[in-house]
Amino acid sequence: MSQALIDLLKEKLPDAIVSSHSHCGDEVVVVKREQIVDVIKFLRDDPAAEMKLLSQIACIDMLTFATEQTGGGSIGSLEMPAYAKTNQGPYEPRYQVAYNLASVTKKHRLRVRVELRSDDCTLPTITSLYPTANWWERYCWDMMGIEFTAHPNLERLLLYPEFVGHPLRKDYPIHRRQPLVHEHDFPDLVRGPGPGPGGANVPMSQTHVGRKNVDPNTYE
Amino acid sequence: MSNKPTRLPVLKPEGNVPESAGVAEENVLPVLLSRREDAIGFFETLMKGPVSNTLGWARKHSLFQYPFVTACCGMEYMSVAASRYDVARFGAEFPRFSPRQADLLMIVGTINIKQSPILKMVYDQMAEPKWVMAFGVCASTGGFYDNYATVQGADRIIPVDVYVPGCPPRPEQVLDGLKILQEKIQAQRHNVATLEREAVPASADSKRKSFLGKLLSK
Ligand code: SF4
Repeated sequence: MSQALIDLLKEKLPDAIVSSHSHCGDEVVVVKREQIVDVIKFLRDDPAAEMKLLSQIACIDMLTFATEQTGGGSIGSLEMPAYAKTNQGPYEPRYQVAYNLASVTKKHRLRVRVELRSDDCTLPTITSLYPTANWWERYCWDMMGIEFTAHPNLERLLLYPEFVGHPLRKDYPIHRRQPLVHEHDFPDLVRGPGPGPGGANVPMSQTHVGRKNVDPNTYE
Repeated sequence: MSNKPTRLPVLKPEGNVPESAGVAEENVLPVLLSRREDAIGFFETLMKGPVSNTLGWARKHSLFQYPFVTACCGMEYMSVAASRYDVARFGAEFPRFSPRQADLLMIVGTINIKQSPILKMVYDQMAEPKWVMAFGVCASTGGFYDNYATVQGADRIIPVDVYVPGCPPRPEQVLDGLKILQEKIQAQRHNVATLEREAVPASADSKRKSFLGKLLSK
């Protein structure tokens, strides 16, 4: 539907485009990181594109992409990410940041995507183009640790400032919680003990008689 | 007018009514008359001895709840509190929106880690005696939010008296939980101020005497 947009981009900004494809009726264009601001500014201001609405900035962690493809499972265990089990390196480029743009007047959509390697996940901010990008970029920083350079206020959006790490990265351990007040240590077979004194390595209470022979470290 | 409060007559049913065996003498309420001594006598019968069952009876039917509503269970809380299911029938009528005026903390909904200091502060602000109800599986165990952000049950932070399962629980389940809590309150030990007061310096004594203490020492 918006193939014309991609053609327009290829004509006006040929250096910026890495590739483009269409998936389930959604046109996707992958652009270079250095030119992301130019591309989005062009799409916003060009009279043929008129994409005045930034509906979302999303981030995708492709860490387990390779193992997912081979049926290796998508989620790592408690201790290590899935790729570490299979002796494969992480999938690179590991992160994808997708800008979902829409035009209310022209009634078309386009997804602009940038790929980032895990050793350098920084990206220029587009808060000067869309005010709504401010919170979306803070969200991506909070959950995925994508650093937007020159962002006016790059702080966590949802989580508390004491939180360490970025929880939606696929190598964040599933059961790692970072409590703000002291939690009582509850021996819980399914959820694991509360992060009391000693954290997740506290041996399970012997009084808990649900299942036998459960390894307190993995709960398996 | 004598200084000793007069005992009030206990009303017995008149006519050919069989005595109900289960009702103990102290649970039959005397008629409250308007005179001051009679009122004092009424309180005295309620709080006979250092531990009072009647105080538990009074407390369990007068639960002032503080709804700590954080998530979708709040919808079900509304129907519990409103006319259709009407929690007021069981004496838990008034939601108080200040923890200092409440004695039942209802944790309604998911508690995430960012919120947990607030919950703890609300609990700490409530005056004794206080009870806590975990409303729904999220408040009880974390529910299906087994993730980085959710406290796996409010009992990891504060003590919980009664757990109501369900996602969200039916209002009947909440009423059931309330009845269980009332049984628990009735069975608990309720200490009251006694006439044997600790020796305190005479100057401070009059100030420190509580209203109840003054009332009972008359
Ligand atoms: S128990 Fe269910 S209804 Fe209640 S807060 Fe949790 S998810 Fe919502």
